Amino acid sequence: MDELKIGTLKGIDKYGNKYYENNRFFYGRNRWIEYAPKYGTDYDASQVPAEWYGWLHYKTDLTPDKDPARPKYKWMVDHTENLSGFSGAYIPYSTTRPKIEAWVPPKSS
Amino acid sequence: MLRSTLSKVLNGSKLSPNLVCVTFRASSDVAKKPEKIEVFIDDQPVLVDPGTTVLQAAAQVGVEIPRFCYHERLAVAGNCRMCLVEVEKSPKPVAACAMPVMKGWRIKTNSDMTKKAREGVMEFLLVNHPLDCPICDQGGECDLQDQSMAFGSDRSRFTDIQFSGKRAVEDKDLGPLIKTVMTRCIHCTRCIRFASEVAGIDDLGTTGRGSDMQIGTYVEKFFMSELSGNVIDLCPVGALTSKPYSFTARPWEIRKIDSIDVFDAVGSNIVVSTRTNEVLRILPRTNEEINEEWLADKSRFAYDGLKRQRLITPMLRDNKNQLTPVDWEAALLTVGKVLQQAGPNVAAIAGGMADAETLVAVKDLLNRLGSELTCTEHVFPMDGSGTDLRSSYLLNNKISGVEEADAVLLIGTNPRFEAPLLNSRLRKTYLHNEAEIAVIGPKVDLTYDYHHLGTSAKAINDVANGSSPFSKVLKNAKKPLVIIGADLLKRSDGAAILSAAQSLAAQATNKPEGWKVLNVLHKVASQVAALDIGYTPGVDKIREAKPKVLFLIGADEGAINKEDLPSDCFIIYQGHHGDQGACIADAILPGAAYTEKQATYVNTEGRAQQTLVAVSPPGQAKEDWKIVRAVSEIIGMKLPYDDINEIRSRLNEVAPHLIRYGDVEGANYFKQASQLLQEKKSVDDSPIDVKIKDLQDYFMTDAISRASPTMAKCVQAVLKQKESKY
Repeated sequence: MDELKIGTLKGIDKYGNKYYENNRFFYGRNRWIEYAPKYGTDYDASQVPAEWYGWLHYKTDLTPDKDPARPKYKWMVDHTENLSGFSGAYIPYSTTRPKIEAWVPPKSS
Repeated sequence: MLRSTLSKVLNGSKLSPNLVCVTFRASSDVAKKPEKIEVFIDDQPVLVDPGTTVLQAAAQVGVEIPRFCYHERLAVAGNCRMCLVEVEKSPKPVAACAMPVMKGWRIKTNSDMTKKAREGVMEFLLVNHPLDCPICDQGGECDLQDQSMAFGSDRSRFTDIQFSGKRAVEDKDLGPLIKTVMTRCIHCTRCIRFASEVAGIDDLGTTGRGSDMQIGTYVEKFFMSELSGNVIDLCPVGALTSKPYSFTARPWEIRKIDSIDVFDAVGSNIVVSTRTNEVLRILPRTNEEINEEWLADKSRFAYDGLKRQRLITPMLRDNKNQLTPVDWEAALLTVGKVLQQAGPNVAAIAGGMADAETLVAVKDLLNRLGSELTCTEHVFPMDGSGTDLRSSYLLNNKISGVEEADAVLLIGTNPRFEAPLLNSRLRKTYLHNEAEIAVIGPKVDLTYDYHHLGTSAKAINDVANGSSPFSKVLKNAKKPLVIIGADLLKRSDGAAILSAAQSLAAQATNKPEGWKVLNVLHKVASQVAALDIGYTPGVDKIREAKPKVLFLIGADEGAINKEDLPSDCFIIYQGHHGDQGACIADAILPGAAYTEKQATYVNTEGRAQQTLVAVSPPGQAKEDWKIVRAVSEIIGMKLPYDDINEIRSRLNEVAPHLIRYGDVEGANYFKQASQLLQEKKSVDDSPIDVKIKDLQDYFMTDAISRASPTMAKCVQAVLKQKESKY
């Protein structure tokens, strides 16, 4: 990523990110991700889906397609990236009462 | 009653110094002024009147003696002993607040003996005072805190670290306004004296003695007075604090803005305390001419109504006949279009809290459109000179003038609830001046004794032609007063009543120069300013004219309703609260309440005063006169003022006294007014009624207090107390 490296393509996730490995580099540099072109320069680490996260961070050596033990349920939610700072950011509703309570006009017939 | 005991004291041999002063003042016309006597305060010579107390003499040279129980507006109690000072050649220290000075006394307010006495008193007070200053609402503005810092001992002898001995007292329930923590009480009895002397409610008192002494109401009872909030200010410690304000803020965090109260026509001076753009509390500001240092409960506690039921965005009635929020542009364009189409068929009604700037702007706008229909909600008879002579609608003799009166006739008014601070003055003149007070109107509790001359309006004529026993009193009085409630003049025979009162006032002949007998007491803050500017009182003219557009400036009393108007009449409501007026409106322009604008109000005596901006108007609300100015620009009749100074110079053109803040613009021409008002119609026999008879009617009278939860609680509490057998 952001550098010229040769490696074997270990897989592509459903968002188009490509995962590479080259064990000639030392541990910690030998697995990397090439973000999908659609992200352009707006890539960030939260765009790595959960199933590749473990392989990329050396929690496991098995890529998702080679790991039969991975649970797959239909209720599992699709991965979402962190949208902080964008329009889709999560904003909790306020629990404080407004200082001024506005008048609500009565419903007229 | 307090007065009978007072006169007994006065007639008896034991003359309390403070009361002697009062009698001297009352009969000063004849009595020669007694010689002044010389005393020395810390070796500074000072000449004082005989009967002056040591404390007052010290105040004259700027020496402040610490005190808890002494208060200059209350009787002397002399029970806190904090004001002990040394007098040379006296073996014991003397209580400065109760001891009249003698010739040649040398008083030492800073000697070792004085200091030791103060430290001793402070030690005794603190032995039974809890150390809960960090959670006490009085913290930061507590007399005990300040004085223990300044005059207390610098070391403690208090060894009771097991907390076995401090006195604990059960809290009392004094109602929804006053919070009590009676353990903090130091028994200064200021609240008791205030209740019985100023408020006229003999409910508070002491039980027990020594360390078992308690302040309370004997039986569980609310402190049912319209002036109850003042005991919070009087309490030197945190025993009585404000319930709505409890645990809200510390005095050093809040901004204080001087302002004017608009809940009644008295125009009390107030301090608005704010923090983070929120009104946290309202306190009185001393003004000897108006409210002394008291404040009525509605003015003090209705501020939470400013945060509820507010109009924060412009609204227009949509095609489903529903008021929906819109932006200013849409609202102003719609209103402008409607006004342009209506042409001269426009009318305006001013409510009770409209300020002079808005009133003059609306009048200018309507006059430019070709309409003269600017009216106020509250009625005043237009027969004779009508409102052309100011003397016929002012409280001519001023609020402070009431204190000198020796005979007062109240016609169709209940000053206790229409102007509580005027009533406290009336009570004062009743107590100290032995004034005779008579009432024509319903029998109500005014906190003092009065002669009830009947409920019929005919009783005014009886007093005038001498068949009433009170007419003699009024005729012989040196300083008589006739106070008419503005509400009474609403009646169809209002002009006749006013005429009768005028002739009654003219009968008083042996009054001093400049004493004005005839007084009108208004109920709302805007009325005098509106009449000064030239508004027509009453909405009858609007009912006849059937306007196409009606402009309501905070008019919420329901003086006019939809049935009185043609069905295609477009109603514009400009104001700060959603109430009756906003419900019937087709367009709503959100304005600012009195804490949110710099505005001019004229009180019932004709004194112009201004409010200052304490907080900003909520949401999209704007200052009222600016809205009118914006509308005028949209319809192409731009009013020639762009800022507050320019509109005030316009006020100056209309009536110069409107911007002479703090001064009373007196009025005269009583004779001419009564000559012009030679009413042929006689007073009819129907009984006189006043709207506010009891305490529960007092709390909610206008848009702000109707929105206030505290005021609603007060009404509930009073109703509950009425059911109680005490």
